Amino acid sequence: MKTNEGWTEVAFNGRDPVYLQVVKFFKEQLVIGKMEAGQIIPSRRELGALLKINPNTAQKAYKEMEEQQLIVTEGNSPSRITMDENVLRAIRAELIGEAVEAFVASVRKIDVPVEELLELVKHKYTEDKQLNGGKQGGGAQHD
Amino acid sequence: MKFYLKLVHMEVHRFRYLLGGLMVLTLLMQFGVVLLWSLSERSIRTGPGWSEKLITYHPFSETGKLTFNEMMFNNQFWFSFPVLISIAVIAGYVFLIWYRDWLGRDTFIYRLLMLPSNRGCIYAAKLTAILLFTFGLVSFQLLLLPLEMMLFNLAIPEALRDPSYLSQAILQNQVLKVLIPGQLDAFVMAYAIGILTVLAAFTVILLERSYRVIGIGFAVIYVFVCGAALLAPITLQRPGNTASYLYPGETYSIMLALTVIIVFVSVWLSIRLLNRKITV
Amino acid sequence: MIEVRDIHKKYRRRKVLDGVSFQIEKGEITCLIGTNGAGKSTIMKAIMGLTPFRKGEIIIDGQKLGKERYEKISFIPDHLTMPPAMKLDEAMVFMADFYRSWNEDRAKELMGFFQLEGKERIGNLSKGTAAKFNLLLGLALDTEYVLMDEPFSGIDMFSRALITEVFSSHLIEDRGVLITTHEIADVEHLIDQAVLLKNGSVIRNFNCELLRMEESKSIVDVMKEVYQA
Repeated sequence: MKTNEGWTEVAFNGRDPVYLQVVKFFKEQLVIGKMEAGQIIPSRRELGALLKINPNTAQKAYKEMEEQQLIVTEGNSPSRITMDENVLRAIRAELIGEAVEAFVASVRKIDVPVEELLELVKHKYTEDKQLNGGKQGGGAQHD
Repeated sequence: MKFYLKLVHMEVHRFRYLLGGLMVLTLLMQFGVVLLWSLSERSIRTGPGWSEKLITYHPFSETGKLTFNEMMFNNQFWFSFPVLISIAVIAGYVFLIWYRDWLGRDTFIYRLLMLPSNRGCIYAAKLTAILLFTFGLVSFQLLLLPLEMMLFNLAIPEALRDPSYLSQAILQNQVLKVLIPGQLDAFVMAYAIGILTVLAAFTVILLERSYRVIGIGFAVIYVFVCGAALLAPITLQRPGNTASYLYPGETYSIMLALTVIIVFVSVWLSIRLLNRKITV
Repeated sequence: MIEVRDIHKKYRRRKVLDGVSFQIEKGEITCLIGTNGAGKSTIMKAIMGLTPFRKGEIIIDGQKLGKERYEKISFIPDHLTMPPAMKLDEAMVFMADFYRSWNEDRAKELMGFFQLEGKERIGNLSKGTAAKFNLLLGLALDTEYVLMDEPFSGIDMFSRALITEVFSSHLIEDRGVLITTHEIADVEHLIDQAVLLKNGSVIRNFNCELLRMEESKSIVDVMKEVYQA
């Protein structure tokens, strides 16, 4: 059952292609460290069952990840997350970039001076991290 | 062939309790009638005052002794009752064997029609099931009669009875006389009419199942046409009919030919409906 | 590929199907969507030869098939269609007797997966259990296509989750699947193709991932456009 952890709670939205949501999910898992470079990933059938999606969609997601060099398949061995540091760094940058872009787009409407905004972000971000950090630490020990 | 036999087996499996029930009913009622009548007759004849009564008594047999024939003759209703019930059940089952698969919670007809076999097999299996049901009961009755005669012989002391022949005994009962006639041609005739009726009923059912309300209209027309076709030669043959130009032998041949045609048309139409027009 | 070509059907002067055409591709899940009485079940019955139609044709892998279609397509109606007096084991023997495509191992696997008891009588099954057994009878046939009519109707939450799991499993992998449902939420992320019916004809027919990609719309968005307009 341990392999199911973290997989089952994926909630897909209806408006973005499911396979792209799967790719995004993999990237997020990688960035927060729930998945590691070089780790073996589930087969398309297993992934379909884990995420309750159509095996075709799982296949499409893997194809997309292969094209983005996020996963690699060598010969007959199962697919793995890439070890390529450059790709991993790029993914991190991509996710941060996307998040910041979305944030900026929504905050721009309010027209806040950039200094005030940065101060607020800094305050809020560290406060949240302290709160959540305690909990996460506990969870890790429990494992 | 394999499909057909499996389907027949399934149909028999489905009516086994009904058939068994009717057999038990027939056995219990007929044995009861034989036993009660025999014992009461015996007590009358061995009781006091029998010799005086004998004067006004019209003996059934020449010797004045009891016979199995007399038992059969005197118990028309109760002896035939289970047989009549069986006939009614078979008549109902001709319809039930189809409608059961459409009506009710399970609608088994979906599965039957989706079997990878010719749908003619379903038709043939249901027809066979009705025939097996009927002949099962008839042969059971034939098996019961000698047993009932034995029971009669056990109940009546030898001094009080004369022997009977089974073939004679059957003729004493108005219902059995028709169901188990002594002559082969009468037997064939009786069951040919029976089978023809079942085939026509199947066609009626399938017409209704294919076209529903409108199908009932088609069915009425179909039955009317079949009936008229069969009766036409007889009407022509009527003694008072001056237009009659057929000899009895000719009438018989025409009826036989018409029967064969009706059988073919019924079967052909039924299977065609099953293949092309039936709806679940 | 199953091609439904221009099917017309009337029932008492009402046009139930008025020129329905679409295709069911192998290896894909196609979903028929429509309001009650839109003709979803009728289309499935027409494909299976369970109801006649006035005009049009059904082509299965390039051929018009008769009884051969029943080894090629398995139909799971919205209710169990086995006599209530039968035991589950007997029903499976019945299937094994008649179908070459019956897969005994798969049937056993599914009996375990759904936790069904072979000695039970069909008439005694609860609604959810009957639905599971119904699914088993259809899925244990090794057919190239599977048609399922309302696999989620009237089923409790846990059975529903179990049945959803079937859709993302090897049980339907590589098969062509056609389902109908009025609760799209259960299958929204599972289906490849959606066919929307209105007034007896196909009003929209699209690939779901393409729709999301090109129009950023969900299936429900399109349903609202079609049925509330």
